[in-house]
Amino acid sequence: MKCFLRAFVFATAAMTVGAQAAEDSADNLGKQIFQEGSGEMPACSVCHTLSDAGGTGEIGPNLDDMMPDSDRVRVAVHDGVGVMPAYGEGLSAAEIDAVASYVSSVSRH
Amino acid sequence: MKENLRIPRRHFLVGAAGTAYAGALLGTGTGAAFAQDGDLPDYVAWKEPGAFIQHSANTLETMRGEIGSVVTPNDLLFVRNNLPSLTEEEAGEADAWEVSVEGVAEPRALTVAELKAMDIEQVASVLQCSGNGRGFFEHETSGSQWLTGAAGNVIWTGVPVASVVEALGGAVDGAQWMTGTGGENIPDGIDPLTVMVERSVPIASHQQAILAWELNGEPLPLAHGGPLRLVVPGYYGVNNIKHIKRLAFTEEESQANIQQSGYRVREVGESGAPDQPSMFDMSVKSWVTHPLMDASTGRVLISGVALGGTETLERIEVSTDGGASWSEARFTGPDLGPFAWRSFVIAADLSPGTHRIASRATTVSGATQPEEFSANHRGYGHNGWSDHGVDVTVS
Repeated sequence: MKCFLRAFVFATAAMTVGAQAAEDSADNLGKQIFQEGSGEMPACSVCHTLSDAGGTGEIGPNLDDMMPDSDRVRVAVHDGVGVMPAYGEGLSAAEIDAVASYVSSVSRH
Repeated sequence: MKENLRIPRRHFLVGAAGTAYAGALLGTGTGAAFAQDGDLPDYVAWKEPGAFIQHSANTLETMRGEIGSVVTPNDLLFVRNNLPSLTEEEAGEADAWEVSVEGVAEPRALTVAELKAMDIEQVASVLQCSGNGRGFFEHETSGSQWLTGAAGNVIWTGVPVASVVEALGGAVDGAQWMTGTGGENIPDGIDPLTVMVERSVPIASHQQAILAWELNGEPLPLAHGGPLRLVVPGYYGVNNIKHIKRLAFTEEESQANIQQSGYRVREVGESGAPDQPSMFDMSVKSWVTHPLMDASTGRVLISGVALGGTETLERIEVSTDGGASWSEARFTGPDLGPFAWRSFVIAADLSPGTHRIASRATTVSGATQPEEFSANHRGYGHNGWSDHGVDVTVS
């Protein structure tokens, strides 16, 4: 029983570490896209301020102030907002999710 | 009657009642905003504190009970700036601001001072964001989750575009569109067409358009597009180009993203494209502004505003039972023309309980508000009377 529990705890810990690693990886990708853009999409920082990414753009909303949740970022990137173009066809779903996860996590600190 | 909406604005967010009221109006969508709970951004610091829901620094929604009646005062008027407003330094002396008029027989740049000497007109019109009412849609939409407050009724003063065109020898043959370009700064590192505010509207609309330098009798604030703004009465806000620096009569629509794929009405899930309807002229719409939450039993004055878009209103009806029955309400105040809204009122005797109060406007041509408004991807143009209704509890 002890062994079983140990194995269970170990497995659970490994899964947690794995999930954390995947999340970190997604955030790294999100930060990279934010700073450098991807394909046709220019860097988010051209237009947006986000201190974690060193972004100082003043065209779109200041994301440090706005503190959007990930859904709000995801739908904004996918569909566009006002003059902000839609990047739903230029970015993969994984890339959009990565940006959404990254922006929401660092702006809400 | 309980005066929820007359809580002194400066104290609005202090009391629990204010918080509850704001929460009731804001919804819980992905773009849900919070009632303005701090200082307004510097560029609109002159506006009435506490009268707005701040979706972002560039999007301020007037609270439902604060829009005024006949005319919306400047300090209560909503703000939706696609790009940051110009600073005073960037705009410079108002009378020296130049707009380049192109696509006419004698193209040239004209200063505001020159325009002021050319001709003058005043027009009352509703200024309304394309996404006003977006927050009522059930599907997930990007952009500010406006409910009713991305709208105001204002009086513009300026020169008729038709007078300018005539003075410059008329529009060139083949021109189909009137294209306005905003003077906002575009950062390096991005193709200007992706973010610039440049809209084309059908050329016929230039007959009612003006180049405006005053808003409600005051110099046009920078936050609302000063020193000079193209106003196309009856058209959604985005077509009214702020800080206008170029006015052109063109054969083709603007190639800017905001024209080609932005502000296009399409099915949920579709991408924006030039062959879809663009957000040009506004449709008939109305909403109640008082009461919004509670009332006492007995006689209650139900009031609100109604617009015909580009047409004169024929009638306005109010229901206190969720649309099961309707009574014709009375327009109050002056008729300021087909592009303006009219305030309305009706007296009702309400029994204890919850009443769903709704309003329904109809124009002279018979256009009327639908009960439901079909969903579209970006959540534009909602004028369904059902979603615009309010539940009022009578005790």
